[in-house]
Amino acid sequence: MGACLRISLTISCLLLIWISASASIPSRESLGIAPQDLSYYKSDVIKCKDGSKKFTKEQLNDEFCDCPDGTDEPGTSACPQGKFYCPNVGHIPLTTFSSRVNDGICDCCDGSDEYNGNVSCPNTCWEAGKVAREKLQKKIATFQNGVTIRKQEVEKAKQAFAKDEAELSKLRSEEKILKELVQKLKEQKERIEKAEEEERKKREEEERRLKEAERKANESKNAPEESSHDITDQAPEKLSELHNQDAMEDHHDSAVEDKNDYTTGTEISDNQVVGKVANDHDDTIAKSGHEADGRSDGSSFSHVEKQHVVEAQDNAVSKANTDYPGTEEELSSHVAEQGQVSDSTEGLSREELGRLVASRWTRENAAEGNDEVNMAKEGLEHDEDIREENHDGYISDSDEDHKFEDDDLEDDQDAEFGEDHEEPTGAYSSDEDDKTDYSDLTVSGSSSWLDKIQQTVNNVLQAFNFFRRPVNISEAATVRKEYDDFSSELSKIQSRISRLNEKLKYDFGKDREFYSFYDRCFESKQNKYTYKVCPFKKASQVEGHSSTQLGHWDKFDESYRVMLFSNGDRCWNGPDRSLKVRLRCGLKNELVDIDEPSRCEYVAILSTPALCLEEKIKKLEDMNTGQPSAHDEL
Amino acid sequence: MPSPASRSPPLLLLVPFLLLLLFSAASAWKKDEFRNCNQTPFCKRARGRKAHSVPSLSTADISISDGAVVARLLPSQPLRQATDGDDPESDTVPPRPLLLRISVYQGGVLRLHIDEDASAPRRRFQVPDVLLPDLDDRRLWLSRLSSPAAGSSSFYLAEGFEAVLVHDPFQIQVRRKGSGEPVLSFNSHGLFDFEQLRAKKNDDEDWEERFRGHTDTRPHGPQSISFDISFHGADFVYGIPEHASTSLALRPTSGPGVEFSEPYRLFNLDVFEYLDDSPFGLYGSIPFMLSHGARSSSGFFWLNAAEMQIDVLGPGWDDPAAPAKDRIDTVWMSEAGVVDAFFFVGHEPKDVLRQYTGITGTPAMPQEFAVAYHQCRWNYRDEEDVAAVDAGFDEHDIPYDVLWLDIEHTDGKRYFTWDRVLFPNPQEMQGKLAAKGRHMVTIVDPHIKRDDSFYIHKEASERGYYVKDASGKDFDGWCWPGSSSYLDVLNPEIREWWAEKFSFENYVGSTPSLYIWNDMNEPSVFNGPEISMPRDAIHFGDVEHRELHNAYGYYFHMATSNGLLKRGNGKDRPFVLSRAFFAGSQRYGAVWTGDNTADWDHLRASVPMILTLGLTGMTFSGADVGGFFGNPEPELLVRWYQLGAYYPFFRAHAHQDTKRREPWLFGERNTALIREAVHVRYSLLPYYYTLFREASVSGIPVMRPLWLEFPADKETYNNGEAFMVGPSLLVQGIYEERQKSVSVYLPAGQSWYNLRNGVSYAGGVSHKLEVSEDSIPTFQRAGTIIPRKDRFRRSSTQMVNDPYTLVIALNGSFAAEGELYVDDGKTYDFEQGAYIHRRFIFADLKLTSVNIHPANLGGKFPSDCVIERIVLLGLPSGAKKAVIEPGNREANVELGPLTLRGGSSPDAITVRKPNVHIADDWTLRIL
Repeated sequence: MGACLRISLTISCLLLIWISASASIPSRESLGIAPQDLSYYKSDVIKCKDGSKKFTKEQLNDEFCDCPDGTDEPGTSACPQGKFYCPNVGHIPLTTFSSRVNDGICDCCDGSDEYNGNVSCPNTCWEAGKVAREKLQKKIATFQNGVTIRKQEVEKAKQAFAKDEAELSKLRSEEKILKELVQKLKEQKERIEKAEEEERKKREEEERRLKEAERKANESKNAPEESSHDITDQAPEKLSELHNQDAMEDHHDSAVEDKNDYTTGTEISDNQVVGKVANDHDDTIAKSGHEADGRSDGSSFSHVEKQHVVEAQDNAVSKANTDYPGTEEELSSHVAEQGQVSDSTEGLSREELGRLVASRWTRENAAEGNDEVNMAKEGLEHDEDIREENHDGYISDSDEDHKFEDDDLEDDQDAEFGEDHEEPTGAYSSDEDDKTDYSDLTVSGSSSWLDKIQQTVNNVLQAFNFFRRPVNISEAATVRKEYDDFSSELSKIQSRISRLNEKLKYDFGKDREFYSFYDRCFESKQNKYTYKVCPFKKASQVEGHSSTQLGHWDKFDESYRVMLFSNGDRCWNGPDRSLKVRLRCGLKNELVDIDEPSRCEYVAILSTPALCLEEKIKKLEDMNTGQPSAHDEL
Repeated sequence: MPSPASRSPPLLLLVPFLLLLLFSAASAWKKDEFRNCNQTPFCKRARGRKAHSVPSLSTADISISDGAVVARLLPSQPLRQATDGDDPESDTVPPRPLLLRISVYQGGVLRLHIDEDASAPRRRFQVPDVLLPDLDDRRLWLSRLSSPAAGSSSFYLAEGFEAVLVHDPFQIQVRRKGSGEPVLSFNSHGLFDFEQLRAKKNDDEDWEERFRGHTDTRPHGPQSISFDISFHGADFVYGIPEHASTSLALRPTSGPGVEFSEPYRLFNLDVFEYLDDSPFGLYGSIPFMLSHGARSSSGFFWLNAAEMQIDVLGPGWDDPAAPAKDRIDTVWMSEAGVVDAFFFVGHEPKDVLRQYTGITGTPAMPQEFAVAYHQCRWNYRDEEDVAAVDAGFDEHDIPYDVLWLDIEHTDGKRYFTWDRVLFPNPQEMQGKLAAKGRHMVTIVDPHIKRDDSFYIHKEASERGYYVKDASGKDFDGWCWPGSSSYLDVLNPEIREWWAEKFSFENYVGSTPSLYIWNDMNEPSVFNGPEISMPRDAIHFGDVEHRELHNAYGYYFHMATSNGLLKRGNGKDRPFVLSRAFFAGSQRYGAVWTGDNTADWDHLRASVPMILTLGLTGMTFSGADVGGFFGNPEPELLVRWYQLGAYYPFFRAHAHQDTKRREPWLFGERNTALIREAVHVRYSLLPYYYTLFREASVSGIPVMRPLWLEFPADKETYNNGEAFMVGPSLLVQGIYEERQKSVSVYLPAGQSWYNLRNGVSYAGGVSHKLEVSEDSIPTFQRAGTIIPRKDRFRRSSTQMVNDPYTLVIALNGSFAAEGELYVDDGKTYDFEQGAYIHRRFIFADLKLTSVNIHPANLGGKFPSDCVIERIVLLGLPSGAKKAVIEPGNREANVELGPLTLRGGSSPDAITVRKPNVHIADDWTLRIL
């Protein structure tokens, strides 16, 4: 073996010389040793690096492992823990495992790992080096361009940040003034209402008396069974009257309680009936809205409500989707029942049974499959179940009801405020709308605007005559309207402030290079799925109409080279979904790849100029000039 | 796979509920889905009988015919009234005589055959193609019956053994000649019952059976057989896989102190999330039981493929006041078939294994790569994934030999096809693995998608190759592809047809480095009774599925294995892993213990399960390393690798819902520990391969219960925690989280060397040992020599030319022996003698390599491999050098590490570079 080794060594050395004239002849003493390590092997007696033993120069690379750590056999496969160095002249040197030496597979491009003659490895270093150098040059070019773009981005971010900060401070001062005005209006309004209340009571008393008389008259006239139809049988005028009164009452109550009033007319009109419906609804909205979000108030209630309900449904869906029985008692008991039903599989068709059993292994929906009729049938049954569940109050509202209310509400909505008021987690590209919304407030927001409204308010306040009886309806309405308008403006400003605060609390990188990411989402389509990554917000996987949360924004990691999204939707029988976005230098912001290497743990690559760092160019250029160094990221 | 929440609005609401529903359905083993004995009429009837309560039969017309003992069995005279009320048929049907035939085979095997006579309305099923075809050549020609006592006849069985047929009531006993000491007896408790075929009557309530919405028409009525077998001189009985158990010996299922236990069930089933300890039947069935005691070893095998239930009766079951000593009684019950039973009377347990594998075959010699490490997962998703996993092993310097693809690689679960999007270039992919000496395995199951555009289905349905349902139509069941039919592999013609499908032309995308995995071959039918095929389905020759159920997977495995053999023109040894198995499956490939769970108890149960498989012929077996269901904690995964590295079949596998668990995903420390565990296996490959050779010749398994090596040491009889690998290595598993110490019993007779540090321990004692995270306790028995290869490569194929290390553990008289078998690892050339087989003998300070390749065989296997290192454990210090003959060469002797692992101290006496060739004769003298 030893002799054979020496012969083959010589042969391979000759081969190497022939292949690459520039390659130095590796002798037994230097085989597999990195240049910077050669001095370690100079003495006649050499220590194992782990200190376990000493060996002589003859024992170096003699195909027998003396040091368990491989010190004595850098150039052979004798020590399992050894490392082999190939110089790879023309390319980058490689340190590989000693298990690769003479295993019949060419690992080093210079072929130096295969020297026993069993296999001949052509020297491909020059070729490979060329490809690598070209690639490196391309990369350097990308970095150079990227650095420029990055600088611009950083500059833009700086301005945007400054602008946002300026806006915030201005909004804060506006908020202060508006608050005072609204407070004044409120006091005024309350006084008016007190006056009105007194009037109303008086009138009520009269009406009561009137009604009493009327009722007595009716009783004597009508048969008892008709009384149950009273309300519907009443003359329209009466109904309207009644409703007007009730509506007014409700309306005022709720306005006081909730600072919320949609009626804009100066007279209590017939459409108060609608107003009442809206108002009743608002009561519930107000409750849920407040529960959901302490900052939401005023005119945004309806939207909060809408969103809240939608979210509630989403949550219910995702919870049902992901939670185990036991976390939601109602749900689990429901499922337990279902489980029992499914236990007696006798009711199932053969195919249903097959699917059910298969699904244990596959976690797939048992209803899934080609047989659409069957699927539809199952779908129907379960829809009904769910509806029942809804009525039991688990899911706050059914879809249809909700839609109806939405439509109604939207009519009454301040249209421009539209769909804005959403949680940061609920939206991913809403800021642009915001800016236009606020243009009237902020862009033209000179002090004259404030002066003007202050003036208006003062006029209104002064114009009202408290001593007139009955209360001047038109004047009272003006006060109310002004109150409503300004409290609505105030809440807009407050919500904008909170949104800005929310935004500014994030870490946007060393140079705020990720500032523009706040308002952006990146998409990538892979087969049937579309992946959406919205930094600082969330990431999702969308398939048709359904969306799966891959995670909520967690943080940057690995010094801004990775974005983490965590606590996404739960995987059945698995972990919560999460996404790790690895950032790469590139000229465009682009989601280039997304994968699920481990179940429900997604990994994506986002190319972005933000990662094109100047100091990195230096490193890459060093590599390009042929410095033997680590070849990371090549 | 990406996990969509749902696909359309109505489903948006529906899916979560379904998923939850499924989760609750999936959370545990569904006991109710499977029959217990009480729900199985034949079992209930048989189990209800008391000793000697069955109307007895007596022999008539005993004679020798054609070299065998023949007789008729008739009701004992006078015909006793049935004492047992729930045996309706015995009252109503006048029994026809049964035909009995007893034959004797070389090596101490008695065969008992009982069937109905020709007047039966139908022929009962006899399992074909299980017994070795040359068995008849080994039959002894009986010529003489003796009459040792009135009412009995005896005849020769083997040297020192005879068989006795007692006439009335009929009983058979195998006993030692001279002393008359019984070894095995049949019907000594009068429980033999044979339900004869008969015509249906109107009021017959036993006729049809219903179970969970499935109706079994049972057109031939009840036809079960039951009897009692007693193992004399037995301390324990073993065998009859497959059951999950943490006990190696079979625990009693009935008798005093045993409450509510089911009998051991042999019925091949696909059980979701099986329990770690239950007599419930799993994927395979081998109706072979062994007994062992200090005085005797014996075995009993019933060749019958119908559902079987076996009770092991606790002492005192028949008479609590006088429990039998040194005897274990068992009751065997089968739903159909005939009595075709074999009695094995070996002196030693290894004799019994030789006798059993002498009739059902020894394990096939595997290719060497198949003995190495396998990496599997449901599923490696696409070619990129495959490439990444392959690269991961290289990057972390962990060897592996085989990458596996589960069902998702196919085009819609149509086996022999590839998903075109995920695997567009399967040949190129296999080529890349093959370039590194690695292999690939794809899955091929027996259910065929009922899709007319699928050529397999088209051909199979046109040719009528499917199993039929009770009404005669192609049976249509549900499995992975949806609506599926099942090939009738009982038919040899269909097996031939199937085998052709594996040719490179037919299996498009396959290459010579591709091998096969047969799953779901119990067969698994998702919408069938007990997740399997209805018992009244009809096979070739009008055989009912109930009659052959347990052998269905066997025939499928056989057909697949023959397909690979054909593919390689009979030169390439097949590798086919099967989940279902039957007696004889060892001839066709490997098996594994199916869908286990990632918990410590399943880790523990894996050892008794694999040991039991080894005892019943299936030595090439293993459990999914890491556990199939669930996510193992890193510590459990590491422990599983450390134990699994010693399984004969070493494969990691995981369910698709689990987190990825390739060895390098749990941090550097755990990666290093797993690498070390895999390296241990690779370094022992020469030893393992030698043991597989031994198994293929003698039937002695690779992984052995301690008592197989130490039959006289009672302490070992029920040790299911530790095991022997071959004759030389003892391995103790670690089955508990954060275990700090373990008690290891080292069998008596010799001392043992800890393979980690060379420390020697006395035998015959339990040692309390500290447990470290880096290995599980492993010992080399004094007096043995183990060949190793300590250089690691990407895969076993690159190790072919690497030099050997011999580890010699000396006994008290400074002697040791060991063997090395080497061949090309791939072809059948070894059958022509192309192999190296050496025995290394160390005595009187001299190591000799002796050729044990039989000279008359001819043939030669060339090898330039040398021994680079010899480690001597137990040699007094003072050795200076070694002198090698021929050539009078010298080699240095010095202290070196026992293993080439970082941190090992150089404290073992080591012969440095003797460089003697393994193919040559030589001696090496220590001076």
